[in-house]
Amino acid sequence: MAEIALTTRRKTRISGFRIVQIIVALLTIAFITWRFVGVLQSGIYGTDTWLRFIISGVIIGGVYSMIAIGYTLVYGILFMINFAHGEVMMLGAFSGYFVLEALRSWIVDPVNEVTFLNAYPIPAILLTFLVGMLTSMIIGVMLERIAYRPLRGAPRLVPLISAIGASIFFQNLAQLLFGPVRRIYANPTILDRANGIRLIVNEKTVVIQYTGIFTVIVSILMLVGLYLLVQRTRLGRAMRAVAQDKPTASLMGIDVDGVISRTFMISGILAGAAGVLWGIHNGIIYHYVGFIPGIKAFTAAVLGGIGNIPGAMLGGYFLGIVENLGPAILGIDFQLKDVIAFSILVLVLIFRPTGILGEVLSEEKV
Amino acid sequence: MGDNIRAGLISGIAFGVIIIITSLIGFFGTVSALLGEFLFDPKTQPAALYSLVLILALLGLWAGIRAAKPVGTDRWSGALVSGAVAGLSTGLFVGIYTLIIGGFNARGLDIRGYLAQMSPDAIRFLLFQLPPATAALSYFLLFTTTGLAGGFLAKTLGRGRLKKANQQLKSKITELWESTSVAVWLSKFPYTQYIVYGAIIILALLLPISLGQYWNFTLGTVGVYVLMGLGINIVVGMAGLLDLGYVAFFAVGAYTVGLLTSPQQLSQFQIDFWPAAFLAIVIAAITGIILGFPVLRLRGDYLAIVTLGFGEIIRILVRSDLLSDFTGGPQGVRQIDGPSLFGISLTNDRAYLYMIILAIMLAIFVTIRFKDSRVGRAWVAMREDETVSQAMGINTYTTKLLAFAVGAAFAGLGGVLFASRNQYIGPEDANLLVSINVLAVVIVGGMGSIPGVFLGAFVLKGLPEIMRQLQDYRILAFGALLVVMMIVRPEGLWPSQRRRLEMHEEELPLEELEETEAIGALEAALEESTK
Repeated sequence: MAEIALTTRRKTRISGFRIVQIIVALLTIAFITWRFVGVLQSGIYGTDTWLRFIISGVIIGGVYSMIAIGYTLVYGILFMINFAHGEVMMLGAFSGYFVLEALRSWIVDPVNEVTFLNAYPIPAILLTFLVGMLTSMIIGVMLERIAYRPLRGAPRLVPLISAIGASIFFQNLAQLLFGPVRRIYANPTILDRANGIRLIVNEKTVVIQYTGIFTVIVSILMLVGLYLLVQRTRLGRAMRAVAQDKPTASLMGIDVDGVISRTFMISGILAGAAGVLWGIHNGIIYHYVGFIPGIKAFTAAVLGGIGNIPGAMLGGYFLGIVENLGPAILGIDFQLKDVIAFSILVLVLIFRPTGILGEVLSEEKV
Repeated sequence: MGDNIRAGLISGIAFGVIIIITSLIGFFGTVSALLGEFLFDPKTQPAALYSLVLILALLGLWAGIRAAKPVGTDRWSGALVSGAVAGLSTGLFVGIYTLIIGGFNARGLDIRGYLAQMSPDAIRFLLFQLPPATAALSYFLLFTTTGLAGGFLAKTLGRGRLKKANQQLKSKITELWESTSVAVWLSKFPYTQYIVYGAIIILALLLPISLGQYWNFTLGTVGVYVLMGLGINIVVGMAGLLDLGYVAFFAVGAYTVGLLTSPQQLSQFQIDFWPAAFLAIVIAAITGIILGFPVLRLRGDYLAIVTLGFGEIIRILVRSDLLSDFTGGPQGVRQIDGPSLFGISLTNDRAYLYMIILAIMLAIFVTIRFKDSRVGRAWVAMREDETVSQAMGINTYTTKLLAFAVGAAFAGLGGVLFASRNQYIGPEDANLLVSINVLAVVIVGGMGSIPGVFLGAFVLKGLPEIMRQLQDYRILAFGALLVVMMIVRPEGLWPSQRRRLEMHEEELPLEELEETEAIGALEAALEESTK
């Protein structure tokens, strides 16, 4: 009886926070609808424009989801935000840039002035990815070894601050090494950023760039590969075991430090690929290029439920699309794109800290 | 022997990579020029070159010591092999690197397009002005010999011996301290504390008069950081809420005072500085509450990311065209008014320094009062364990909000002084890096400790001003410093007593712990019962 009484009382009592939550939710929904209806009525954006927003959102979402996986994997195992993950991606992008530059200046056919890059584009791209992923992998592993491993078991703010320090360090290292210049990725001609599939919508052409298609395909392939790795292989099983319970996993004969190191390896590989994709599709890289995508990818990971791999994939695509559609829906300036991404982060954490798909971790950890 | 070789290889590769990266960012050039002026006579000697060799030799020594220290310092052969292998591998790495960049340079290729610091001059300097092959060879020889010497050194001052010497030194110092009667007398004299405080206050009041304009300005900047550090000290240090968007409150304070006192903006009404400053602080505190309201349910690193997001949102908003009628967009707000008292304008740097010092004193007073109050204890309890503190009857929600509001008010005050002194506030002053800087001030200084904030602000803001030549490397060093601090001394340089004990709990010898706590309590209980 007592139990029943307790539960009923609990149900009738609505906390102040709940009321605030509901009010904020209603206000947000009302605001968005109001703005959206206004935008639709004014008709500034035709169908073709909306389609363009969605396409660019999906493409950028592919990159976000690859970075987000890195956050989710590390958070799932160590319960720490690898703040420097965006910088790992940036350094991968830079090493890919150098490979492409080297291949571009290597002339294989002096008569027609054909460079290696255009003569053998597929090996060139493969090499770029390989080097980018390798660099990011090494940096990810070193990062864990130097900045995070000595802090195992410290209070939770300590590794986070260390990660922030590492992030600042890498950003400035890149700036000092390569200079504060914006660099343009040299794509082979088959991946020219200006070319793409042309669709006629509403009597206007919408271009789906080949680089965009390439980005989405690569990201989906890598994400599927990762999912299989985590679900089907020994290493994946070990990773899941470590994520659930480190001491027990080590009692079962799993080398916990080794698994953590390999997790950083995998997240580094994904970040490196994401960096190269970013360069190939967006074309411009500089030392700050990893930071904002890094934070947004973290948002994506939170959105999908941190620690949850399919969630991070979904969250990445969702964030990419919403971020591109958002300013149009609200009828605001595209300068404020980042505000939308951050607002989503705040809103998700307020209303559903466990993310869309629900996180694998317990609520206690939020 | 295998272990020795492996340790040597690891150390050699690590040092090789570090040396190559350091030289690629042009650090060696800058430091040797600086050190050369200091150590040698630049008129008669190639001072920079000498100091470069000196630095490299020291690095080689270090590589050797590091390689030999963990293994085999008990045997001569082991230590020497480790050191030699470390030196050899470092030399090999750096030698090859020298050959490559020297080769580029010899062919007249300018690699500055890819590696910004590698100008032909810089490369020639790194090659000791020698041809590439000779330079590579001399690098190789230099590192091999110094690595070997490092192994030798590691053996002679083995780990155990060093530690013992260190302990002896420490005990000697404490002995000396205790035997010097003045020190003991001072520490027992009840008014020492007040005398020290008085001296500090008098010094602080005399300082601005005795300094020139440049130092007044610089110290003013440091002072604003101290002020913000004191604010974030409450939020992060006492209440344990990691706030990465602290600059948002700084921006709110600065922009409010700017909007209210600048004649330039759309808001036609223009009020005097003092009410504007007051309003700005209040609005900053209210912003703290508004931002804190939804996010303070989150814990730890989630809170960090959300506050970071808020900080960025505010920065993007003040930058955007949406609010540019008020905030001036990327141009910022200009012509911000300064304060005046009894008709005297207080807009020179000295007056601002005085005001900043006064503000700091006020902040310290508030902090101390809070710390010793019920609220302060609630903050500390909440930081230690939120669930338990809730069970003890603390309303964690309002307590957190209060911490946020007080911290925000301090930041708002900092923003007011900063904006009015510079007569300008722009979106770039509300950069994320400011938040991280302020946070680092507290972390380096020691969380929860007031003197620590001063020390941190001086180390992070004052030192770079003194060493202007190394300005390019400031933020880099700062990132590395955060990592190193977290590994070596997570409690900060000048931690509060509580933190120091917390972070080094496991290092207290077990017997001592037992004696002080368990056995002591038991004995007391026994005595009670026998009575």
